Amino acid sequence: MEWWNAGPVALMINSLVALSSYLHGSLGLTIIILTIIIRFAMYPLTVKQLRSTKAMQELQPKIAELQKKYAKDKKRLADEQMKLYREAGVSPAGCGVPMLIQMPIWIALYQSIIRLLAITPEDLLGLSKALWSWPVVYTMVPLNNSFLWFRLENPDTPLAVLVGVTMWLQQKMVTPDSTDPQQRSQSQLMLWMMPLMFGFLAMSFPSGLALYWVASNIITIIMQYFITGGWGGLSKSKGGRAVVKASIGKSSGDLKKRIAQAEQSAGITAMEADIVVPASTPEDEAGGDVSADKPRGAGYPGDAKTIRRQSKRSRGHRPKGR
Amino acid sequence: MQIKDKILPGKLLLLLAVILVLGGLLFSGCTVRSTPVGWSGVAVTDNALFVASLEGELVGLNKSDGNPLWTGCPLGTSKETVAVYTTPAVDGDLVYVGGYDGRVYTVSSTSGYRERVYPLDDNLESIVGGLVVSGGRVYFGCDDGKVYALSADEFRKEWEFQTGDKVWSTPVVSGETVYVSSFDKKVYALNVADGTEKWHFETEGGIVSTPLVYNDTVYIGSFDRHIYAVDAADGSLRWRSEVEADKWFWAQPIAYDNIIYAPNLDGKVYMLDTESGYEVAVPAELDSPISSSPVVVGDKVIIASQEGRVFSLDTSSNMVSTSIFTVSNDDEVIRAPLCASEGVVYIHAQTSKHDTLYAVDVETGREVWVPVSLS
Repeated sequence: MEWWNAGPVALMINSLVALSSYLHGSLGLTIIILTIIIRFAMYPLTVKQLRSTKAMQELQPKIAELQKKYAKDKKRLADEQMKLYREAGVSPAGCGVPMLIQMPIWIALYQSIIRLLAITPEDLLGLSKALWSWPVVYTMVPLNNSFLWFRLENPDTPLAVLVGVTMWLQQKMVTPDSTDPQQRSQSQLMLWMMPLMFGFLAMSFPSGLALYWVASNIITIIMQYFITGGWGGLSKSKGGRAVVKASIGKSSGDLKKRIAQAEQSAGITAMEADIVVPASTPEDEAGGDVSADKPRGAGYPGDAKTIRRQSKRSRGHRPKGR
Repeated sequence: MQIKDKILPGKLLLLLAVILVLGGLLFSGCTVRSTPVGWSGVAVTDNALFVASLEGELVGLNKSDGNPLWTGCPLGTSKETVAVYTTPAVDGDLVYVGGYDGRVYTVSSTSGYRERVYPLDDNLESIVGGLVVSGGRVYFGCDDGKVYALSADEFRKEWEFQTGDKVWSTPVVSGETVYVSSFDKKVYALNVADGTEKWHFETEGGIVSTPLVYNDTVYIGSFDRHIYAVDAADGSLRWRSEVEADKWFWAQPIAYDNIIYAPNLDGKVYMLDTESGYEVAVPAELDSPISSSPVVVGDKVIIASQEGRVFSLDTSSNMVSTSIFTVSNDDEVIRAPLCASEGVVYIHAQTSKHDTLYAVDVETGREVWVPVSLS
């Protein structure tokens, strides 16, 4: 890994030190500024990632419908999903690939911060190997490790909590309020697991790293606000269910129009997925045509969550006389 | 739950990527950051050697054969191993040593029993620089940026002086003045009696190196890669070296016959005239960085490189020989300052978990006794 330490990590270390010369030698301020610079340098990738994420979220209802329809035909399901992605111009990996590209940069920044903190004499001695022959670099080290109320080489609990909170806010903004139970459970997992994990880690790592995470999260929140056009899941969180109810309460004409659009784009014949269907219903377990045995005119459950419109195909297969 | 399709949703892919990132960060965090290990120097008296091991014990050895005088005296509490970077200081029948746990210990040189601890119920911040005992006081610097003076007999604090940053160097006492350098780029001259400042001199980089007082002049190497000569009485600058090293000055320079020998982390030893600061010879180049303070034995300067080789520099020609000694373990490094007595140089070499004490005859390059494993 010598090439890694001598290349990207050394570049980050020396950049941090050189930048600190303009910031009164404050490592804390330098971490924040460099994080901002790098985030904006990778803005195109971030935009791509966020837009891809949003597009994927918007397709989730249609994907859910496809999954219900082709529950027993995996190959057809896969084909239809890929067709849907192609028509929408979305790649399933579009969310993750930009992030993977950014990973080496973030790891290099992370390692350079740890090395610059140089807590032990061994660390400081080792740091000397990474410094380039810039006069400003040699005269700035060691940097000032005090920032606000904490020391950057020591863990700080309030800052660790801030890591978790900002990460949760960032996640919440891009977490759709899905009506599909599987999607919802996945979203909840993402929403809580990462903030808790990072917050817990931040309690045992130097607060210089926590500072970097907080700065990065806040920048991401700001970017998301402008790229995705608003607070996203944060603004919908209180009225999440209202969205479902509002969808259900729309006029039948509007519903028909939306169904027609969905059918036109992906050949889907099932209902508009804003209407929640329980994960396990007798129809689901039976598979295939879900309304074959339900007599026409039989009372539909009054609860909006169980209302289900009969599909066109199923009408054609309804036994007569029932 | 049925697996509805074989294509991972984008979110699961993202989750997997995040877990991989987290794992990478965790692993890289664990491997990049080191735990304090220590590199204690050796203190020598007429008959004995004292050094702190990597296990946090003060070890006393017979100087003539390397046999232990007593079993190692553990420093710190029973639950922790204390890293020791300081060179012990011997005064009478007491050995003084500072630990990374922020405490100063005294150990009886005859029995090996721990006598006193300062502070008794608490601890200071880490002590990295060495201690010096002079005129009934113990002087040392600390990570909190202070220089402390304790009474040697009662082990009470007599005074403290606050610098601007960590003090990792060893104080040097000359007459009524104690000289100490700090990370705040300054060298201070303090009154030994009360710690009041006489003067300070500021360089352009942090200072880890211990000052050298020679011929009424204080010589100091700085992180700005220059050597400075400062008047010991008033702190005025006499000269700053024109030559600029490639890396930090870390080890204490030494002087012999009006020449300063200043080792550098770039692996070179810079030789400067004490009066003018001009180079008297091309820098002697070793094989690796030099963080260990050299010693003078006869008319030779003995220097150790980090990679475990010991070199002899002839002061008459200012030429360095090929290595006169190499530590036996390839993984061992030499970071601790060298110590010499009666033609023998004592070398404390270490890996991350194990350390060894060597005694080498400077003239022959042979080991005087079998290397002693300290941990």
